[in-house]
Amino acid sequence: MDGMLKTLKMTCKDVYPLISENQDHPLTFLSRIRLKMHLAICELCEIYRKQLEIICRITRSMGKDESKVLEDRNMNPEVKEKIKQLIAEKKLIRTF
Amino acid sequence: MSQETLEPQQWVENYADMMYRFTLVRVKDPEVAEELVQATFFAALKSQHSFAGRSSEKTWLFGILKHKTMDYFRSSKKNISIDLTAEESDRIHFDAAEHMVPKPVNWNMDPEKAAENKELAQILAKCMKGLPEKFHRVFVLKEMDGLSSDEICKEFNIKPTNLWVILHRARNQLKLCLESNWLNAK
Repeated sequence: MDGMLKTLKMTCKDVYPLISENQDHPLTFLSRIRLKMHLAICELCEIYRKQLEIICRITRSMGKDESKVLEDRNMNPEVKEKIKQLIAEKKLIRTF
Repeated sequence: MSQETLEPQQWVENYADMMYRFTLVRVKDPEVAEELVQATFFAALKSQHSFAGRSSEKTWLFGILKHKTMDYFRSSKKNISIDLTAEESDRIHFDAAEHMVPKPVNWNMDPEKAAENKELAQILAKCMKGLPEKFHRVFVLKEMDGLSSDEICKEFNIKPTNLWVILHRARNQLKLCLESNWLNAK
């Protein structure tokens, strides 16, 4: 029995990197079983798993709509004016 | 259907702030973000002839911006080596009974609704700036832009196992940062 638990490697310490890795690559069959069984009985690791899921979802939505996190952060007006002028000048060069 | 045309004189007015924000969530340095937007406008100006009018002007400009950002990620990659033994550790430890220290705190939030929480997103954006440069880039490409693990390993010339460790450590750092900045503020 001890030998079997060892093979299953079921402590938090063993299992917790799999929670993150599960977001990055398909786990092996054995790892998947280990993770599932552990999460079913370990409240703390389940909380941790949820935390990583929350971070993942927020980051993804940030990538889709950055204005949500940066709201009114605008580019420096002076820099904008400079670029505008440069575009106008280049435009002239192209025309003539 | 009307063909889309380009109006370079209006670019700055119409898109500069939008593009700046897009870049600012992806790179750590605001000056770099400004430079990338500027470089995008100039590159667009030079290659106006390649605009086929099939996509909108905005989509076309953002396409160039995405390339420029990727180029930036690549450009300094040789200068940033990853030594995983020397970098930050997992930051999470285990007690004698092999339980996590610090103990994870229940955020009392439905993960499906997490993206609606603006306050949390703003703190996460700040926490991300605290990641080491290489971790930050890898994390952005993986989580924000949804690149596959394979693509990222190729870009940065790293092994998959290293990628997993980097992402794991980045996530742990963000989690701990959120816990101390968000929960304490409540």
